[in-house]
Amino acid sequence: MGDRINRRDFLKMSSAAAVGSAAVMTGCATAGGGMETAASVGFKADLPRAKGPRLVVVGGGTSGLTIAKYAKKEYPKFDVVLVEKRDMYSSCFSSNLWYAGLIDLEFLADHSFLDAARNNQYTYFNATATGLDRAGRKLITSEGEIDYDFLVLAPGISYDYSRIGVKDVEAITALRTAYPPGFLSPTEHVTIRRKVQEFEGGVFVQCVPSGNYRCLPAPYERACMIASHFKKNKINGKVLVLDANPDITIKKEGFHAAFNELYKGIIEYKPSIEITSVDLEKKFLKTDFESFKFDDAAIYPGVRASTLIEHLGLVDPKSPQKEARIDILKYNVIGDERVYVTGDSRPHPYSKSANTSNTEGKYVAKVLAARAQGKDIGWYSPRTVCYSMVNASPMEGIGVDAGYVLNAAGNAIAGFSPDTKLFENRDAAKGRSTLEWARGLCRDMFEA
Amino acid sequence: MGAGTLPGHVRGVIDRPAAAPCGGRFREGFMDRRRFVKLCAGSTAWFAAGMRGAHAASYADFPRVRLTDGQGAPLNASALAKDEAYVFHFPFRSLPCFLIDLGKPAAGSLELSSESGSYIWPGGVGKDKSLVAYVAVCTHQLAYAAKDGSQIRYAAGASALAGRPGTIVCCAHASVFDPAKGAQREHGEARDPLLSVRLEYDPAEDALYASGLAGTQLVERFFKTYKRQLIAEYGAGVYREAVSGSAAAVPLSKFATSVGDC
Repeated sequence: MGDRINRRDFLKMSSAAAVGSAAVMTGCATAGGGMETAASVGFKADLPRAKGPRLVVVGGGTSGLTIAKYAKKEYPKFDVVLVEKRDMYSSCFSSNLWYAGLIDLEFLADHSFLDAARNNQYTYFNATATGLDRAGRKLITSEGEIDYDFLVLAPGISYDYSRIGVKDVEAITALRTAYPPGFLSPTEHVTIRRKVQEFEGGVFVQCVPSGNYRCLPAPYERACMIASHFKKNKINGKVLVLDANPDITIKKEGFHAAFNELYKGIIEYKPSIEITSVDLEKKFLKTDFESFKFDDAAIYPGVRASTLIEHLGLVDPKSPQKEARIDILKYNVIGDERVYVTGDSRPHPYSKSANTSNTEGKYVAKVLAARAQGKDIGWYSPRTVCYSMVNASPMEGIGVDAGYVLNAAGNAIAGFSPDTKLFENRDAAKGRSTLEWARGLCRDMFEA
Repeated sequence: MGAGTLPGHVRGVIDRPAAAPCGGRFREGFMDRRRFVKLCAGSTAWFAAGMRGAHAASYADFPRVRLTDGQGAPLNASALAKDEAYVFHFPFRSLPCFLIDLGKPAAGSLELSSESGSYIWPGGVGKDKSLVAYVAVCTHQLAYAAKDGSQIRYAAGASALAGRPGTIVCCAHASVFDPAKGAQREHGEARDPLLSVRLEYDPAEDALYASGLAGTQLVERFFKTYKRQLIAEYGAGVYREAVSGSAAAVPLSKFATSVGDC
C-alpha cells in the first residue's frame, strides 16, 4: 500500500506523449488566428443574447461539463454556452462495471445536460461544432454560428486505427462496427455488454494500445470484469490481453495479482504485442511474428486528439497523437488567448482520465475567469485519483492518487508529484470506493 | 428575527462559544419561510448569506440538541471511545455529523473560511478539550456517512492515504482533513474544511450538546443533490425536519454497513 510511482514509471507511461517536445510551453507567439475551416453556415445559432462575456465550451464530457460549471462559479458575469452533439449523456468512465453487472445503465446515463445547465446557470446547446473563425471569434455549428469572447474546445479523443496497420476507411469502418473499442460512445458500451453477455466460450481479445491512450487502467480493468463474468457463470472462455506495451501501464502489481490469483487460466496476458494487421474475415490479429485467433474482441487501436482539433487547424505538427498546440500552463492556443483546448485533446502527458479532466477543468475555469478580468493565476497540478475494479464477485478494487510536477524551467510536465501513491492491494473497501468515486464525479458535473 | 434564548436552553453551560449576531437573510429554495421561522423561533437567525471573505460570518444557531447513546441514554462525554467517530444527525434528521474524541486537546481560535464565509473555529470542548464535531459530508464531492456505506471516516490509527494517524479521510477522491485544526483540508481536491458543528459541554453532567453550524450552504447543496435519495429514505419533507431534544450518537462502524478504508 502507498507505494510511490517513480520517474521511470512516469516516463514509461507517457512514452508516446511527447513529454519533452509537444508539451513544452513555447510562449505566446504572434499568430493572430485566422480563418479556420471557414464554412460559415450563414445564420446565427438560436441562442438568447449574451448577457456578459460569452464563454462557449465545446464538448459535454468531463472536461467540458466541469469548465462550464466552474467558469460560471468563478466569474458569474460569464454567459456560458455548452455545445454538445449528444442529446443524452452516458459516462465512459465506469462503463466496464456494467459489463460485469455491478451497475445498471442508470448509473452511467441518469444524468441530464439540461439539469446540469439549469443547476449551474448556463445554456446547453445541442449541436455539433463544425468550424471555427478565430479572426471573427465565431464557432460554427450544425445549428448556426455562435459568437464567443472565449472558446474552450474539449472534444475528447478519436481512434487511430493506423496504429494497428488498418488505414483503409472501409476496413476501419468494418472493424469499428464489429469490434468497437468502447472508449468513445455509449453505443459502443451497449455492443460490448451484449458481446460479453452472449459469449458462450472461446477467446475474447482485449487490446491495449501504446501511447497515452484514454484511461490507462481501463483495458486491464475490463479484462478483469469480463473474466469475472466468465468465472461466475462458468463460461469456458479466455480473455486474451494483447498489450502493445512492455508491461501493464499503471497499477501493474494490482492487475498482475488479479490476473494471477483470480483469473489463472482465464486471463492470458501478452505484453509487447504490436498488432500490424487485422483479418476480419478469419478473425485474426497479426503481428510481424505471430497471429492470434479470436472469437470476439474489443479492439482498442490507439488514440489521438479528436479529429475536430485537426479539422480546426489546431494540431501541433510535432504531436504523435495529433494533440493541440497550446500553452501547457494556460491551455490557450499558442498566440490566441481566446481559444483553449482541454481534456483528452490536450498534449500533456497526464492520464487521459475523468478525474484528471475534472480537476484540470477547475483550474482552467480559474484561468478563464482571471483572464476575463485582465488577471492571471499560477499553475497548479490536476489530480489523477482513479480506482479500478479487479473483481466483480466479490467486488474488489485497487487505486492510485497521483499529481504532477513541472520541470525546473517550469515549462513542461516533468513527472509525478512526490505525494503520488498507489493502492494496489485489492479489497472490498476500494471496490466500494470505485463506485462512489464515479457518483461523486457525476454529482460534481451535474449538480450545483 | 431577533436574538433570543432557545426553548429549553440550559443556562450556565461552560465551553459554549459566543453566539453570532444575526446577520443572515432568508435564502430562497432551501426551505419554505414558515419552516424557517418555526425552526428559528426564539433563536438568532441563521442561514447567513456569507460571501467568502466579504465579512466575518460565524456559526448559525440551531435548536440545541443533547447527544445520547444509541439507546437514548444521555451520553457521557468522558466515556467516548477514541478509536472511531460517532455519527449523530443534526440539525436536520438526514444530516450526518461526526463526534470525535481526539484523545488530546485541540486548540481553537483558528480563523477558517468556507463557501458560507469565514468563522472562528473554537477548538475542542470537554474535560480535555478533545471533543470535536463536523458534518460528515465531504466538501469535495459530497460523499457522506450513509447507512448503506460511508467513504468518509475518522482514521484514529494509521491511514495509507493520510500517512499519519488522527485524520478524517474521504476515500471517494482521496481527501484528507485535520480534525484537530477545524477539519481543514490536508490533502486532496477539497477546498473547504468539513463543516464545523458547534458543541457545548456541561461538566456537571458530563453532557454534550450540538447547537450550531459554521455555515449552511453545504447543507443546502447536500439536500439539493441528494433530494431523490433522501425522500426515498426519510420521506418527502421529513429529511429536512429539525432534530429536536436529543440525537443518538453511534459508532460509525455500527451505523454504516461498510466504511471506507484508505
